[in-house]
Amino acid sequence: MAEGLSNRLCALRAERDLTQAALAEKVGVSRKTINTVENGVFIPSTLLALKLARALGCTVEAIFSLETED
Amino acid sequence: MNDRSDVETAERLSSRRASLLAAMAILFLSGQAIYALGPDDPGGTADRLKVAAWLIWALTLLFLLGSGGSLFRSRRVRAMMNDETTRAHRGRAYAVGFWLAVGTSIGIYLLTAFDRVAPREAIHVILTAAIGGALATFGLLERRAHRDG
Repeated sequence: MAEGLSNRLCALRAERDLTQAALAEKVGVSRKTINTVENGVFIPSTLLALKLARALGCTVEAIFSLETED
Repeated sequence: MNDRSDVETAERLSSRRASLLAAMAILFLSGQAIYALGPDDPGGTADRLKVAAWLIWALTLLFLLGSGGSLFRSRRVRAMMNDETTRAHRGRAYAVGFWLAVGTSIGIYLLTAFDRVAPREAIHVILTAAIGGALATFGLLERRAHRDG
């Protein structure tokens, strides 16, 4: 059983009318990090996940979820 | 406004750093031809200069890889330039450097069964492979992240 991480960061960011750069500014990371997280290339730490959730005004679970493949 | 500028500045500097370090890695690795093919004058002035120049070059690259550069920028810009993704890439680059050092060491160890290898040459080859490999890995990972996300 392999588990992956899916995220709704891009959708949630777009709903709040935020650019990647604007979200990066709020969280205090580079735009590259937001981009890599959105594309599933980089799995963020708990700290960054919590910062993203706070910046978007939602829970971490609203952004990230486990995708399970049997 | 200032914060937005910081993001943009970090983006620009980080992208430039990725390209620069990838190019430096290629230069560093290909530059070894000069070291290997240069005049053989062990202990001579030219030899000492060559060794000193290589050592300074290697230490400078190591410092750039470890520190991330841009030391005169604000703390916020430097933090953005060395955020989680960059630290993860740096960690992977160190791992590649470590395995290259181990692999090269094993290769040289085996080579000593057939030929004599001077300690300085052995160290030179191991450090070159480790530093060049780590630098190239970091540069390529960063470039890819900037390009594709």
